[in-house]
Amino acid sequence: MEAAGISAGIALDHHDDGHDDHHHGPPPANRSSRVSHEVLGMLLFIISEIMVFAAFFAAYFFIRLVAEGHRWFPFEGYELPVAIAGVNTAILLSSSLTMHWAQVSIKNGNRFGLKVGMVLTSLLGATFLFIQINEYIHIGFSPQDHAQGTIFYGLTGLHGAHVLVGLSLLIIVTVRAFRGHFSPEHHHGVEIPGIYWHFVDVMWIVVYTAIYII
Amino acid sequence: MVAKFRGPGMYRAALGTALGTALSYAIIGIFRSWYGLDPLFKGYAVLELSLFLAPIGFLIGLGAFDYWFRWAAGRPTIPDDHSSHGAHSWRDYFKVNTDHKVIGIQYVVTSFVFFFIGGLFAMLMRAELAQPGRQFVDPSTFNGLFSVHASLLIFLFIIPVFAGMANYVLPLMIGAPDMAFPRLNALSFWMLPLAGIMMLMSFGAPGGSFASGWTAYAPLSVTAPEGQVFFTIGVQFAGASSIATALNFLVTIITMRAPGMSFFRMPLLVWANFSTSLLVVIATPFIAVSQFMVLFDRALGFNFFNPTGGGDVLMYQHIFWFYSHPAVYIMMLPGFGIISEILAVKSRKPIFGYRMMAFSLLAIVVLGFTVWAHHMFVSGMQDWIRVPMMITTAIIAVPTGIKIFSWLATLWRGVLHLDTPMLFSLGFLTMFTLGGISGVMLAIIPVTIHVSDTYFIVAHIHYVLFGGSLLTIFAGVYYWFPKMTGRMYDERLGKLHFWTTFIFFNATFAPMHVIGIQGMPRRVADYAEQWAGWNMAISIMSFFLGLSALLFAYNMIVSWRGGPRADSNPWNALTLEWLVTSPPPIFNFDAIPTVVGGPYEYGVPGAVHGVLKGAEVPQPAGATASGASHGSATKDQE
Repeated sequence: MEAAGISAGIALDHHDDGHDDHHHGPPPANRSSRVSHEVLGMLLFIISEIMVFAAFFAAYFFIRLVAEGHRWFPFEGYELPVAIAGVNTAILLSSSLTMHWAQVSIKNGNRFGLKVGMVLTSLLGATFLFIQINEYIHIGFSPQDHAQGTIFYGLTGLHGAHVLVGLSLLIIVTVRAFRGHFSPEHHHGVEIPGIYWHFVDVMWIVVYTAIYII
Repeated sequence: MVAKFRGPGMYRAALGTALGTALSYAIIGIFRSWYGLDPLFKGYAVLELSLFLAPIGFLIGLGAFDYWFRWAAGRPTIPDDHSSHGAHSWRDYFKVNTDHKVIGIQYVVTSFVFFFIGGLFAMLMRAELAQPGRQFVDPSTFNGLFSVHASLLIFLFIIPVFAGMANYVLPLMIGAPDMAFPRLNALSFWMLPLAGIMMLMSFGAPGGSFASGWTAYAPLSVTAPEGQVFFTIGVQFAGASSIATALNFLVTIITMRAPGMSFFRMPLLVWANFSTSLLVVIATPFIAVSQFMVLFDRALGFNFFNPTGGGDVLMYQHIFWFYSHPAVYIMMLPGFGIISEILAVKSRKPIFGYRMMAFSLLAIVVLGFTVWAHHMFVSGMQDWIRVPMMITTAIIAVPTGIKIFSWLATLWRGVLHLDTPMLFSLGFLTMFTLGGISGVMLAIIPVTIHVSDTYFIVAHIHYVLFGGSLLTIFAGVYYWFPKMTGRMYDERLGKLHFWTTFIFFNATFAPMHVIGIQGMPRRVADYAEQWAGWNMAISIMSFFLGLSALLFAYNMIVSWRGGPRADSNPWNALTLEWLVTSPPPIFNFDAIPTVVGGPYEYGVPGAVHGVLKGAEVPQPAGATASGASHGSATKDQE
């Protein structure tokens, strides 16, 4: 019977906070899907985030291809530092690898690997932001100068804001990792910021390609 | 006294608001002194920042983030002892409460407060329009009135009131003890009144409230006086609230259905909210971004919409309507769900074409993203976009038509119980069909070119949003009133409310088709002498329409306080929310019910949708459904 098949998933526990609440409360909800609330919630949130980027890409499309007198870098001496941003891309992408390492470590019960992985990931993320801000300082145009500058700062700034949010999540995870919060059974708190961080990295590839390369 | 400011609550929220404002002053002061700008505190800069920080301070003070702060700092979180479940006095509704039933009531009541404020603005507008020339308000105030009217009723009434009703009944309907993310649910409610208060506060801004309509087209919104930012930023809070709620609904529906409730055993209200939530999650970021771009252009001199800097003005309309066309379905699909519930119950028949009803919802979700530029036929965009958009717009009428015919077939040879929810549902069917027909007319490019920005548009939007959405909202509120409050409403007053609303609604908005085709422009405080007679009639009828809403308010307040007690299943409905007492117990179910059949098996002898634990699972053939719940008569009347 269908009902029996679904109710087999009841035993899944979605409390990963390390505290348990066995006092009187609501009856445990039936789990009608194997995916956990938190993972599904994060994936849906990422759909929303992709649409935020999509709206900025729509602006990019109009400014680069549709608007009257449309043009793109390099023009009138304005240039984008493609090589430096490429190095920065490599830094951000390698942070995805260290993040993955941290996730695998805690799944295998390797707390040391988790801590080192999280610290490395956070440092790489912070380095990316630092180089990005440095690029803003030396790039030689401002968003007020022209629409091309506006969308350059708009897209890279939007992505930078996401890196900042992701970095805050990573720091929270790092703090909690050092406090001994995670275990092979309870590591949602690492997994979900990890999904977000991978999303931020993948999004950068799209932004980098659109802004700097093509 | 200090303790009051330390613990979460309204005192600390007031403190948080003040601190948020102070922080805005500090940040602006620091940055302006860094850049050596004079004066140190620029009014509009502080205002725009504090419109973000003061509400966030309010939310922190209220305690919406307490749990997450502790979690983020790695401190032991306070175990949720469910003491915040349920509401024991009216004060509990002013706290951060994680109970979906409390949040549902908070949502519905808050949105109706904004409904009455928005309606009041409509009355003021009709008073001004009663005669040609200037009566009560000057033209710029009039522009502010219709802008705030539309913004409040769209962002603070129709969208959230549906979210509120679904918040209350959806977890019950799918047999869940609560939403998937109760704390996020509380946060998303509390962002809402902030957005509404912000929009109302705009009347106090120098230069008056925002006056660019709810569409806030650039470049008007970029150059308008400061009142505009109250819309720009208020929409961010309303939008964030609606995305968070939609995400919550989706996760709840996907992961928390009762055993046995497959997707095709879900009530259509659940399907409707599933589809709506998909639309919200995908589309709402676009309006958030469009308003951020306006804000950047205004406050920081960016060039998104500035043609001299290489920007594109039309881009605003594309991004805005890419949200706002799906948004009209966000404002309608939950209503479709409500109507499907009520029509099946009140005509004692299974819903006709259940699967097609579900698939047509999904078809609307997909097609809803392909029609946005039909709002821009006269905007001067590329000509080649117009015909494809005309075709997709005509096509999107097909899934809606499927639903209309399915409802009619549901009614066919049913035993119709013509009480208040049913009357409102039938009113919806007729009025929404009329609004849909004028919508198909507007899909045709030459018609749009002729009637664009006339009262024909006003008539169309009110036939779909008032005759469509609002009638479903009334139907839903009457239908679930016994479940939400444990009391019965006054049926006589309810019917009177329906007939007055139905008659005066038509008397108000039907003539607008006529004066619209004759060319009377919308959004203007004055008009030519030739329309004086029609407008006087419309204004008088609209005041009666306003009075009919007071009947509703009176009925709701008096019945809530002293109406007769409702039993658990006054309508003999099958869906799970009617298995439990009215109002439901604090955790909805003592044990999660099991779903054994479809939700709309009315008229099928012995059919049962769900059973509570301990009750026997009845055999489909001829077995009675007695004992399925607290004496609820799931047996059919026929």
